[in-house]
Amino acid sequence: MEREVVEAELVLPTHLNFKKLQMYEKYPKGQSRGRHWKHLKQIIQAENFQNYPPDEPNYVNIESPPSMHPPKRICDITGYEAPYYDPRTNMRYANAEVFKLIRSLPNDYVQRYLALRNAAVVLK
Amino acid sequence: MPFISQIERQTDYSLFAPTRPIVIDNGGSYFRIGWAGESDPRVIFRNIVQRPRHKSTGETVSVVGDHNTALLKYFDCTRSGPRSAFDNNVVFQFEIMEYILDFGFDRLGVDSLGVDHPVLITECPCNPVPSRCRMAELLFESYGVPSVAFGVDAAFSYTYNQRLGNCDKEGLAVCSGFNTSHVIPMPERNLPFVLFVEGEPVFEACCRTNVGGYHVTDYMKQLLSLKYPQHMAKLTWEKVEDLKMEHCYIAQDYAAEVKLYQNETKEAEEKTRCWQLPFTPPPVEEQPSVEEIARKAAIKERQGQRLREMAEAKRASRINELENELRGLEFLLRQVEKVDENDIPAFLSDTGYVSKQEIESSIAKVNQSLRKAKREQVELDEKADVTTADKFPLVDVPDNMLTSEQVVVFRWCYMVVMNHEWKELKEKKKQIFLKTTAEGRQRARQKRAEEELLREKQNQLEEERRLENPELYLDQLRTKYKELSEKVDQKKRLKTNGNNSNGNNTSGGVGRGERMSAAKKERMRLLTTAAFDRGKGEDTFGARDEDWQLYKLMSKDNDDEDEGPDEDETELTRISSRLQAS
Repeated sequence: MEREVVEAELVLPTHLNFKKLQMYEKYPKGQSRGRHWKHLKQIIQAENFQNYPPDEPNYVNIESPPSMHPPKRICDITGYEAPYYDPRTNMRYANAEVFKLIRSLPNDYVQRYLALRNAAVVLK
Repeated sequence: MPFISQIERQTDYSLFAPTRPIVIDNGGSYFRIGWAGESDPRVIFRNIVQRPRHKSTGETVSVVGDHNTALLKYFDCTRSGPRSAFDNNVVFQFEIMEYILDFGFDRLGVDSLGVDHPVLITECPCNPVPSRCRMAELLFESYGVPSVAFGVDAAFSYTYNQRLGNCDKEGLAVCSGFNTSHVIPMPERNLPFVLFVEGEPVFEACCRTNVGGYHVTDYMKQLLSLKYPQHMAKLTWEKVEDLKMEHCYIAQDYAAEVKLYQNETKEAEEKTRCWQLPFTPPPVEEQPSVEEIARKAAIKERQGQRLREMAEAKRASRINELENELRGLEFLLRQVEKVDENDIPAFLSDTGYVSKQEIESSIAKVNQSLRKAKREQVELDEKADVTTADKFPLVDVPDNMLTSEQVVVFRWCYMVVMNHEWKELKEKKKQIFLKTTAEGRQRARQKRAEEELLREKQNQLEEERRLENPELYLDQLRTKYKELSEKVDQKKRLKTNGNNSNGNNTSGGVGRGERMSAAKKERMRLLTTAAFDRGKGEDTFGARDEDWQLYKLMSKDNDDEDEGPDEDETELTRISSRLQAS
């Protein structure tokens, strides 16, 4: 290992004196071998939150419901308020200059702009 | 203001009493560790782990948090990017968490066997039980922590601010995190003057929205990469995060703020920031010095000259060789002429030749190749001659004033003079060719003239006969015309219409048989039999030579339809013209 790397103590040492159980004892075959963890979705599923009383707060039921407010119309390119909407590309735009720009955009860019506000066409 | 991590190792760990708790703020983006009762954390770093491979030794190592990126050049980071233990503010990858805790405790200066201080660690509101379980398990088993307390960072913050008098007993804590944001109401009744509270805020009314700082950065990154696709590679997540921290601000009223920019006010101009991506100029290639260029040119020139000399030497040696051979053969021929006719085979037995004719033919061959070799040289000389005539009128320049290249060219000129006689030989050949073609043309003209004469004579003869006895002559002509026309007609019929010899096919319906000539029909028959007659009985095709004639018949070239007007037709036209004339 290079001297400057050692000096910067960049690399975490494999043996640490204060640990009761070292990493290499815990995972003798190496850390990447096999998956020792569950995704958050799996954790939630295993927890069976639907069986919990609904008036008790838990991770699932504190999540806010989707907003019921009408969304603000914001120009997709400039971020200004957008009074107009282009029916061909479905993009919102603020003024004529932006409209020109929108019409000159290739389709994949249009889709990427729309994806930013979850309005893109998703093929399944 | 970009975030700067503090990762210096602390040295005063042993000064703290074992009852002093260690406080860990385990946030989605930053990990902070410090001592209870102090206003600031001791160690702060990004809550990420990279596991790159060391380039020279090949071992996989763990790198926690942000480091000097220049040091990462010794590591191969292509296979593992920075990884986080978090999924929406919930710790789920406890191996990564362990690396992070290792690093945190190490930098806090823990040097005893086991971390013998109580630990307070933050978690998200309503953390799922498995996650909390595993965190507790990790702290107890791996680090030997005597006791663990979990708490919600927003509640702690609220309490702290309450102590400072920033907020009332009742309030609302809005915690905008890395992955999620929480809104937590703080009612009046609780919050005693103790830090270790759990469940005191009203979690029944707590609310989580899965939008955080990460999403803002990501949105900005996407916008920037859409606007500047050419800089996509340079706009890394970290860079955009820094940009956001440095330059972005939260508008009190978005619509009003945006109006400022839209109307291009002075205020907006002041708020506009220009930012340049770090630019590394491409390495400028050093111009080679004058001596260098001269040296290279000299080397090139020397090599070229050597090649030319080699080619020349090769050609000369070949010519020499051929001449030697020619001399030997001529000598042999002379010897053979002296020898008696019957003794020739015996005489030639050890030379490799069988007869006099063979020697003569090989002489001719050698002569030919000799001529060829010499001609090559002549052509080259001619080329050199052209160049000298165009570019180098050097003959007047004295030798010692010429550069090496010019000397070479000069020598070529010299050789041109030497080889002048060969050029003459070539000229002679050319003239011979011209002469033969001229003679051929002459002969053709003569032949045509003779034919003309013959025809004239015939015409005169006929004219005389006509004048002698016009009636008889006309009769003769008519019968001849009839004969010829019948002949031509029959030929035509045969060509267009194989077996329909009666010629009264006036129905207009043109069938397959009518369309094809006899030869064509025969060809089709042969083709069909060839196609379908295979495999019947024993295949004896090709045993006789005549079998192969089949292919000649089958081939398309066999058709002789487009032959042009034949003799009969020309005669017929001639006679009809005569008939009309008389």
